[in-house]
Amino acid sequence: MFKKFFMLICAALLIAGCGGGEESANNKLSVMLASNVVSLDSGQCTDVASFEVIADCIDGLTQLDADGKAIPAIAESFDVSQDGKTYTFHLRDAKWSNGDDVTADDFVFAWRRHCQKAEEYAYIMDSTVACVKNADAVIKGGDPTTLGVSAPDPKTFVVELDAPVSFFPALMSFPTFYPINEKFYNSLDSGTYGTTPDTFLSNGAFVLSDYLPGTANIQLKKNDSYWNADKISLDAWQYQVVSSSDNALIAFKNGTLNLVTISGSQVEHVQADAELSKNLKSIPSGALSYLTFNQDPKNHHAGALANVNLRLAISNAIDRESLTENYVMNGSTPTYTAIPIHFAPNAKTGKFFAEDQNQFADYVGFDVDKARGFFEKAKSELGKDSFELEVIYSNDGGGSTKVIQAIKSQVEENLPGVILKLQPMPKAEYLDKVTTNSFDLALTDWVPDYDDPMTFLTLWTTEGCEICEHWSNADYDKIIADCTSGSLAADYDARWNAMYDAEKILLENAVIAPLFTNANAILIAPNISGVDFHVAGVNRVFKSATIK
Amino acid sequence: MSVLTLFLIIFVLFVLIRIVPGNPFPVERMSAEMILQKRAELGLDKPILIQFVDYMSMLLQGSFGNGTSLYNGAPIKPIMMICLENSFKIGVLSILFGTAAGLFLGIIAALNRGKFLDGLCTVVSILGVCIPSYVFMIFLQYFFSYKISFFPYFFDASRFLFSSIMPALSLSLFAIATVARFTRNEMIEVMNSDYVKLAEAKGLYGFELMRKHVLRNALIPVVTVIAPLVVGLLTGAMVTEKIYGINGVGKLMVDAIAGEGVDYNYVLALSIVFSALYIGIMLLLDILYGIIDPRIRLTAKEAA
Repeated sequence: MFKKFFMLICAALLIAGCGGGEESANNKLSVMLASNVVSLDSGQCTDVASFEVIADCIDGLTQLDADGKAIPAIAESFDVSQDGKTYTFHLRDAKWSNGDDVTADDFVFAWRRHCQKAEEYAYIMDSTVACVKNADAVIKGGDPTTLGVSAPDPKTFVVELDAPVSFFPALMSFPTFYPINEKFYNSLDSGTYGTTPDTFLSNGAFVLSDYLPGTANIQLKKNDSYWNADKISLDAWQYQVVSSSDNALIAFKNGTLNLVTISGSQVEHVQADAELSKNLKSIPSGALSYLTFNQDPKNHHAGALANVNLRLAISNAIDRESLTENYVMNGSTPTYTAIPIHFAPNAKTGKFFAEDQNQFADYVGFDVDKARGFFEKAKSELGKDSFELEVIYSNDGGGSTKVIQAIKSQVEENLPGVILKLQPMPKAEYLDKVTTNSFDLALTDWVPDYDDPMTFLTLWTTEGCEICEHWSNADYDKIIADCTSGSLAADYDARWNAMYDAEKILLENAVIAPLFTNANAILIAPNISGVDFHVAGVNRVFKSATIK
Repeated sequence: MSVLTLFLIIFVLFVLIRIVPGNPFPVERMSAEMILQKRAELGLDKPILIQFVDYMSMLLQGSFGNGTSLYNGAPIKPIMMICLENSFKIGVLSILFGTAAGLFLGIIAALNRGKFLDGLCTVVSILGVCIPSYVFMIFLQYFFSYKISFFPYFFDASRFLFSSIMPALSLSLFAIATVARFTRNEMIEVMNSDYVKLAEAKGLYGFELMRKHVLRNALIPVVTVIAPLVVGLLTGAMVTEKIYGINGVGKLMVDAIAGEGVDYNYVLALSIVFSALYIGIMLLLDILYGIIDPRIRLTAKEAA
């Protein structure tokens, strides 16, 4: 009996083994995703992986070109009213992948739904970002039909804003603003939209051919009914979710993946290999890494960090050059401003917002004497000369451990009396601690959603999100309110300058200690070209990618 | 009894998962007010015991909590079914292979008791128990996918059977070890029994003796160790599935626990399914035992 059994297994293995010959799939684009796609529902998703895949499949009103400038997508053109508060988009003849026309009503439906659903990214519609009329009220449970969007005819989409938003056209390339086919959506069972290729519609460059929520592998193919289908050269390609960068590196060497992101410690290894290092590139990511200080005077270390001099001391005791060079190692840049480098170019001068890294040198820098000066002041003000502080950080990615250890040794060496206790934890727990304020310092990475300094500056307002609590400054709040929806919104230059004032308040109070602007070290196979990388919103775009 | 066990398991899991640190909403952009609103929507603001009663009443109606993932709002059941199917297929493959190889090793060892081959089989069994399947998986992946590029480096659903071989092999390691050890011990016991000695005395020897008297009696109990292995494989494949990129329940579980937010609904639903499977199979075994092995029936009758 068992003999037959065994022979059966052998036979099965042999037959299966014969399938092994066709292993030369190098001419199919295989891209690494570092984390699962959370959801393909543009009103639900919150992560870069989801935004990227949605943008592969759905076009919004505008899209970004290789340089990050807004160019037409579904909207062929648009008009702005004199006061900058009404945008009229003229839609082209585009089709959904089931043959339906893409109409203005699809946008109206999606926008209303996202506000009503009030998921995390609904905030991007409200008065802190896009300023869509009545968005705040609808998000808080108001009547969705009062939202400032309308479709006077199927090819005209009108948006009314509460205040002019200078980056509005570029913002329209962000997935939360993408359309959803209302008829199709309503024909599905509740909650199933975007959970399989059958429950998802494309109007963009690619359609899903294999997908499942949380899947390790996503297959896409060209959408033949795409309005710009002539320009799409990729036929079929795939994403592979690989959470370990070691695994990704081997898969790249093997030819299984041809676009991967690697960690800083691997860069050294890659550079040692002449052949492999030809594929290495460093892509600026626009994400800022910084230390958040918990200023809650009631926190368990008697609120020592409520003292501004202690915060300034720590910020000035960190050697950022050495951090990026020796510990991050992926091309990240030391940063001395609250807004990252390579980010938010001025529309008129083209200069990045944080081009001048020395403007806040009085508050942020590396100067041991200055740091000790602040520290002496802090000691006498607080009447204590030793401080034990807890630093929390997420160790999911693995890369932060070395960085935080380096910070610990620098701070402890430069400020005798300060002891940093490191507390690694999974991301879920980290976010829990940050939102409930149970930490002293937190190592935070913030990825910009849109290409404007406001995506960072709104973090630190009194009303802002939970990531930085217990700091409140009326002047700061006023500047931010004026810039987003108030008197300065319409005046580009005045707004731009006011944002520097806000940044100054932030840094002279050392609300955060900026560390570095992240970069991604990637390996890309030489036969691939035309992948666009962006610092904000959708980070990678494959519409013009080609593979030889 | 089984129902009570299951109930207790669900209770403990339910309470634990709500007590341990972690946040089901990995939100960075929401105000405190909105987070509270979200929690209230899902009933997470109520006392744990009341939440538990609500959960149980929904479970009895056949739905896991509100039936959707906290994380992405997608319904749990259809996704879990697809993943169960994938894991099950690979699990069956590895059980088939593990049993066959385990039996083979066990028999060889028993027949060569005390000799070199027996020692070799024992070493293999010990290794099989000691090496976690995912470590073996990484080894296989490195060698067969990277060094000689024979098998795909990641799981390829379009070539399901072919790309199942490596994970199935690595998962079968534990089954091989367990089955081999069990078979060897059972066979040695049977070979020393009076009836085999009698058969030998009557002139039966070699293959005939083994097939008719030894194997038949030795293999009956072996069947009983295989069943729980099946469930063990479904639950034990977590890291292996994650490394190789298989959309199975193991990976689903890892993602639900270690993703950005802890997905209470998924973790609970999967744990309940795993526990129910396990308890179900144990119950089935208790019943089967009597049917498979006549001696148990006979002793029970005599005692009564």
